[in-house]
Amino acid sequence: MTMKRSDFIRLVSVGSLALPSVMKGMKVQPVAQQLFTTSVNAQDRVLVLIRLNGGNDGLNTLVPLDQYANLTIQRPNLILPQNSLLKITDTLAFHPVMGGMEYLFDTGRVGIVQNVGYPEQNRSHFRSMDIWSTGMLDAGATSGWMGRYFDANWPGFPTAYPNADQPDPFAITMGYEVSSTCQGLMANFSHAITDPFESYNLDPAGIVNDGTYYGSHMEFLATLIDQTNAYGQQIYAAANAGNSLSNLYDPNNELAVQLRYIAQMISGGLKTKVYIVNINGFDTHDAQVLPTDATTGDHATLLKTLSDAIHAFMDDIRLLGLEDRVAGMTFSEFGRQIASNYSHGTDHGDAAPLFLFGNCLHTPVFGANPVVPDQIIDQAGLPMAVDFRDVYASMLKDWFEVDVNQIQSFFEHQVTYYPLMGNCNRGTVNENGNPVVLVYPNPCAEYATIRFDCQSEWVRVELLDLNARLIQVLVDSNLAEGMHNVPVELERLAVGEYIIRVRKDSGELTTKMMRVKAI
Amino acid sequence: MSPNQTAQTPSTFSLSPYTGPWTEAEAAHLLRRTMFGPTYQQIQTAVANGMSATLNTLLTIPTLSPPVTWDPDEAVVPQGQTWVNSVYPSNDTQPTENARLRSLASWVIERLNTEQVSIAEKMCLFWQNHFACEAAFDSRATYNYLMLIRQHALGNFKQLVKDMTIDPTMLIFLDGYSNNVYSPNENYSRELLELYSIGKGPQVSTGDYTSYTEGDVAAGAKILTGWYIEGLRSDTVTTPYAVFENTLHDQTTKTLSARLGNAVVNANGAQEYSDYIDIIFSQPDIAKHICKKLYRYFVNFDITPTVMTDIIDDMAQTLVSNNFNVLPVMQQLLSSAHFYDMAVRGSIIRSPLDMFFAMYNATGSVPAYDMATNGEIWLNIYWIAGAAGQDYLAPPNVGGWPAYYQAPSFSRLWVSSSNLKLRFDFAGWQTAWGGFNINGNPFSVDTLNYLANLPQPDDPVAIVEHSCVVFCPKPVSQMDKLVLKTILCNGLPDFEWTIQYNDYVANPGDETYADPVRRQVALMLMRLFKFPQFQTF
Repeated sequence: MTMKRSDFIRLVSVGSLALPSVMKGMKVQPVAQQLFTTSVNAQDRVLVLIRLNGGNDGLNTLVPLDQYANLTIQRPNLILPQNSLLKITDTLAFHPVMGGMEYLFDTGRVGIVQNVGYPEQNRSHFRSMDIWSTGMLDAGATSGWMGRYFDANWPGFPTAYPNADQPDPFAITMGYEVSSTCQGLMANFSHAITDPFESYNLDPAGIVNDGTYYGSHMEFLATLIDQTNAYGQQIYAAANAGNSLSNLYDPNNELAVQLRYIAQMISGGLKTKVYIVNINGFDTHDAQVLPTDATTGDHATLLKTLSDAIHAFMDDIRLLGLEDRVAGMTFSEFGRQIASNYSHGTDHGDAAPLFLFGNCLHTPVFGANPVVPDQIIDQAGLPMAVDFRDVYASMLKDWFEVDVNQIQSFFEHQVTYYPLMGNCNRGTVNENGNPVVLVYPNPCAEYATIRFDCQSEWVRVELLDLNARLIQVLVDSNLAEGMHNVPVELERLAVGEYIIRVRKDSGELTTKMMRVKAI
Repeated sequence: MSPNQTAQTPSTFSLSPYTGPWTEAEAAHLLRRTMFGPTYQQIQTAVANGMSATLNTLLTIPTLSPPVTWDPDEAVVPQGQTWVNSVYPSNDTQPTENARLRSLASWVIERLNTEQVSIAEKMCLFWQNHFACEAAFDSRATYNYLMLIRQHALGNFKQLVKDMTIDPTMLIFLDGYSNNVYSPNENYSRELLELYSIGKGPQVSTGDYTSYTEGDVAAGAKILTGWYIEGLRSDTVTTPYAVFENTLHDQTTKTLSARLGNAVVNANGAQEYSDYIDIIFSQPDIAKHICKKLYRYFVNFDITPTVMTDIIDDMAQTLVSNNFNVLPVMQQLLSSAHFYDMAVRGSIIRSPLDMFFAMYNATGSVPAYDMATNGEIWLNIYWIAGAAGQDYLAPPNVGGWPAYYQAPSFSRLWVSSSNLKLRFDFAGWQTAWGGFNINGNPFSVDTLNYLANLPQPDDPVAIVEHSCVVFCPKPVSQMDKLVLKTILCNGLPDFEWTIQYNDYVANPGDETYADPVRRQVALMLMRLFKFPQFQTF
């Protein structure tokens, strides 16, 4: 039986004596490389957007167990057998094929925002995807929500980009089409690639814009050729310098392959802030499930692809020591109707759950379960509880630490922030400013001890460099209430300053540690 | 219009007939917009014939031969005969279906590659983008769907929508076959309104899209209940067909919203869908949606308020007053002053198919081997076009290809960095770097044939001039022409080309003379096909 998050925090904790000396297995080489790159916190963070194209059926992805009886009324030909579900809390369960995301949820790296949508749902794929891409309900909006963020901070793009300060693409779309989310005022900020190991050497063109539509196309194409070559070189270099360590990637899972490329580029030092991947097929009007077995069919295949790919990617990100720098989010244009149709499928609906992934996740499940009525109401979807634009705004605030006034300027409505991805942000030492995590001796040479207090709770102790990048996880466990002393060996750690961070359900503590030469 | 595509305003906003000069620039513009790859000779013929006669030729849809068997996996029909009205084998239909699908896909490409001076293939692609069906799992049904489009390519829009509503491929594509009284499936009902006929207006309140409502989507689903398909992959039925079953049909009276005139649709069996479509087509704004799409496809993406009132509204009026016949609308649009305005020339970026068949057709490059080899070559082109973003029998979604509808970028969506590389690589491969080789049978851009059909193939200046007329929508700078001529002559004086060319003509069959000529033209075309100017039309 798999351990659930809900069970996990109730477990009797292990004693601190059982904690191992943790530094011996440390991989010094990649860490040393990372120390030479300059970046701090939010500037160095990466957001991965996964578009579930077609409108994902939330109710068969994340089943609200407290609504199960009514779901059997609403969707008798789709309902997943209760004993097949992967229970993650007392009232929620994943689709049976989503073992990967279940594991990530249980270890605090997948989160859920319930009932995400927008007012007055538009059930057109096209209009609704436009709304989700632009982050605006205004039908005249053409810029993407990430595009506005880029425009506000790097105005004038694409003129004079790339340059020495911004040598890399701001965003990368995996595939042949740039993403509407990154559409800026003058150009799209995303750069489309299919394989980062391809080299680009397109014949450049010198073109004058004659002021017509044709002329603007000429300028667009000439700029695209130049950018393709320049960005192509950066991407190629990063892909070759980078690495991928997880063995969970399935080479037949196209989404996983794309995420693996992304891990490779991030670990190779590419400064791209946003990556966008896409998975088609969620418009499951028919044959969403096979009549013979509701746990199989098109939707199951899609969810397995998604879950396995995110699992492999997060595994890789952890092995690469990048887990505090990478976060992700899924989005889809709408959920589907509560009741199924006769074709073993579902028609266009309204709100649905949205998934976040990352090590800095703040809230495992945000929002209450949807309420499923006990009678079929023609065409009914789930009402929205969380406006997707507030999810975007909260991600900009938590993850890229964008100024709230600037964030507000990207949206047409009054923004509400939710605690979604801010768990790694600094400045939460403790209420009084007194350190309650101690490193002694400090400065230290070959050995040190980390002392802290906790309640009976899950605790994770991390060694970070000054750029807040993870070097090593020292503790990741449930601990008993009281004081704990964690001994660490430092002989293979380079001389310099480091950060020790203690993450607990009850709050986060950090302090600096100075490593000096042994006398 | 979008801020990143700023451009001068056209000076002519009128569908009144174009009366300006008729030179090769205008003729080439018309042919490039209505065909995939007009040749230099076709352009000259159009100049000589004048606009009106050229348009008459263009607006004729030629007859077409059906696809034939060439793949060895076909188990029923002999090689070289058509399978479109033939049964499937009694067991294991899949190999035969695979063979038929390959035959069908190569036939689609053959049609593009061998197009005549006609708007037919451009119109068929327009409708394929409009209805956007994927190939059904019975290629006979897919063939019938493609022929339905072709039958109405310049015909009656309303009748096309009616026929499409009960076409087996469409019934499969949007689940009409499983839409019945017990559980209506909204998939087709929604797209019928949103995409195929009246189009979706701005949402003004929950479920109200100005031109129709969510209630109409639900009512439409009920109206459309009761249809299913017989004969799919059958070993006795020679072509699949739609069947109406009244017991599966919703017999209630359906009331539409005020947006559709509060119309009442009474139960009327197999004719009810037709009654409903009559109601949709009686709405005052019915024609604007399709006219906007025609305008974007044939003229320019930018529908400003002026274009809306002075062009689209007039097109819509023409369509309605001609009882939804498309031909008069195209006739009016393609002979209008606005269509020839300099501001809209070169305003569309070529799709992969536009690009590929500009390369092949304008150079007269058509494979001429046995049917199986030709089929393999066309099938390969089909897959590469798919990889480049334009899989003819599998549009990316029910709205078609985003480059035809997605603001603000529109046709720029055909050329991302990854896509541009693929296009450039393809251009290089099909000119200078070898091309296809199917079982020892090569196929690529036929440079010698191209040269032979230019008026002055011994003159490098003329070759460059004529190539720019054929491949580029606007005049090319002297500098770029010099680049092309330098490549063609390999940096030598012009007369060296003349000597080389004359030697080649004087020594037919001698590869030592032919090969350098072939190579130099290939290198020139390769460069030209990577020019930004060539990427638009």
